[in-house]
Amino acid sequence: MFKKVLIANRGEIALRVIWACKELGLKTVAVYSEADADSLHVRFADEAVCIGPPRNIDSYLNIPAIISAAEITGADAIHPGYGFLSESGYLAEICEACSIKFIGPGPQAIRLMGDKSRAKKAMAKAGVPVVPGSQGVLEDEQKAVRVAKEVGFPVILKASAGGGGRGMRVVREAAEVAAAFRAAQAEAQAAFGVPDVYVEKYVQSPRHIEIQVMADARGNVVHLGERECSVQRRHQKILEEAPSPAIGEKLRRRMGRTAVEAAASVQYVSAGTIEFLLDKDGSYYFMEMNTRIQVEHGVTELVTGRDLVKEQIHVAAGEPLSFSQKDVDIRGHAIECRINAEDPVTFVPSPGTIQHYFQPGGPGVRVDTFAHEGCEISPYYDSMIGKLMAYGRTRSEAIARMRRCLEVMVVEGIRTNIPLHLRILDDPDFAAGRIDTSFMERFMPKRKAAAAP
Amino acid sequence: MDIADLKEILRILEEQDITEFELEQDGVKLRVCRASSSAPARPLVSAAAPADAAPLAGTLPAPQAAAAPAGPAPEAAPAANGTLIKSPIVGTFYRSPDPNSQPFVAVGDRVKVGQVLCIIEAMKLMNEIEAEIAGEVMKIHVESGQAVQYGDPLFTVRPA
Repeated sequence: MFKKVLIANRGEIALRVIWACKELGLKTVAVYSEADADSLHVRFADEAVCIGPPRNIDSYLNIPAIISAAEITGADAIHPGYGFLSESGYLAEICEACSIKFIGPGPQAIRLMGDKSRAKKAMAKAGVPVVPGSQGVLEDEQKAVRVAKEVGFPVILKASAGGGGRGMRVVREAAEVAAAFRAAQAEAQAAFGVPDVYVEKYVQSPRHIEIQVMADARGNVVHLGERECSVQRRHQKILEEAPSPAIGEKLRRRMGRTAVEAAASVQYVSAGTIEFLLDKDGSYYFMEMNTRIQVEHGVTELVTGRDLVKEQIHVAAGEPLSFSQKDVDIRGHAIECRINAEDPVTFVPSPGTIQHYFQPGGPGVRVDTFAHEGCEISPYYDSMIGKLMAYGRTRSEAIARMRRCLEVMVVEGIRTNIPLHLRILDDPDFAAGRIDTSFMERFMPKRKAAAAP
Repeated sequence: MDIADLKEILRILEEQDITEFELEQDGVKLRVCRASSSAPARPLVSAAAPADAAPLAGTLPAPQAAAAPAGPAPEAAPAANGTLIKSPIVGTFYRSPDPNSQPFVAVGDRVKVGQVLCIIEAMKLMNEIEAEIAGEVMKIHVESGQAVQYGDPLFTVRPA
């Protein structure tokens, strides 16, 4: 087992890793930028090293500074958290070269899954269902029409060089394909400089369902059930829950088995998440794999009673998984609300100093945060200041509990999205579990109508 | 040497924050000088964790800046007419190019802009830290072999 773990991250996840290390009796090293000098992760770690000025690229993304910090403190392992360098094959490789254990998968798995197109090919090869579509770029309109017909309508034309929702066009009938293809190529050329377009089946308003997997270095892989993450705005998750109200035992077993096979096919080690699109007819397709611990891992911990970060550390130290698939039980229901320092209506970030702070407690409540009274929320980093989780025996109990928590949580001095979460919980579709990735789009206009005089 | 080699060399130099590099190969001489990417910052808790770091139960541990570092004096009072030169990187500080040589500079020495003041070793690479101002070395804040973090005080130089 390691003696000293350096946490290459900040904020609430740095604290999360420190908690796991403390419980395991491991020493901790925090790294921080000048903007985080007073941050809690710096205060609670056994040692801390300033690695640079505030900008990410100079600090939390600065590999030489981080490795050097590990060297001068004698850290023998690095936990990358999520975001930042958690999916950097380069960091994983350098750790290997410097005999520092990277707490996560190996560089090959990171790189393979980080390349979305290669990942999809690898998954398809492993028999994992992927969104049907063209194998690569479409050469001409005839090919476009042919593939679209094979895939089945509606389809979506996507610019290869695009991303973030740009350069996409939905086509609902065969007759529209040729013209749409020409237009898509022209748009792609104009916007991205490359006219390459490919086609995929358009899964309309799917649910975003992800499966948590955990694997050790001996080839044991298990899944810990799903998380429902459809409540998103511009591909940013706002609220997550486990289990999904749309998934029963049978579908969970099938998707879980698929996720385990996917992870095993790339010799995956450590915690990982396979993201799927779940269509209304129950079919599901691989979207991508996240080769790190995720923000929303806590809801899985609540319904399974497992500590995923400790498990990551055990696995990285060469130990086998501490449990097998038959030991995984999903009990009760957990919801997580990401508390962001932002305006609840306009989503504009709201940095500043927290003047008054009170966090809820009581049965079934978990708060992962670095926020406290007097805490500086700086403009340099992510706006998420904490994760509020509520656990209940049923989904309705979890909702009622979450509502209670949001009503009494106090964060003054900055704006937060607490009012937004309260409105989401009150939404009849949400209460009924009728959510998919178009929820926030439908939800927001409703809210504006309610707010209008 | 082709463009791919050159790109790779430049990438490595940037990543390692190496400011000067010279290579001669196959009749081609390459010399790269770059400004160091990062700039100064803060005091570090020395690698031997300070004995007074254990907080009282129920109290918030003090910010690292307030904990008196074991080694160098904190930047509290840069000498009245001296400029503090701070560490631009994380690593191990050395006063001389190797254990058998004289230190690069001593207190009282006059230094020129660009003159090498010390070496900070990071990831097995020896980074030469150059003076950005000319003047007289008034104080040396660190000892050879000491760990430094971004922003740690290294030298106080009186501009002249």
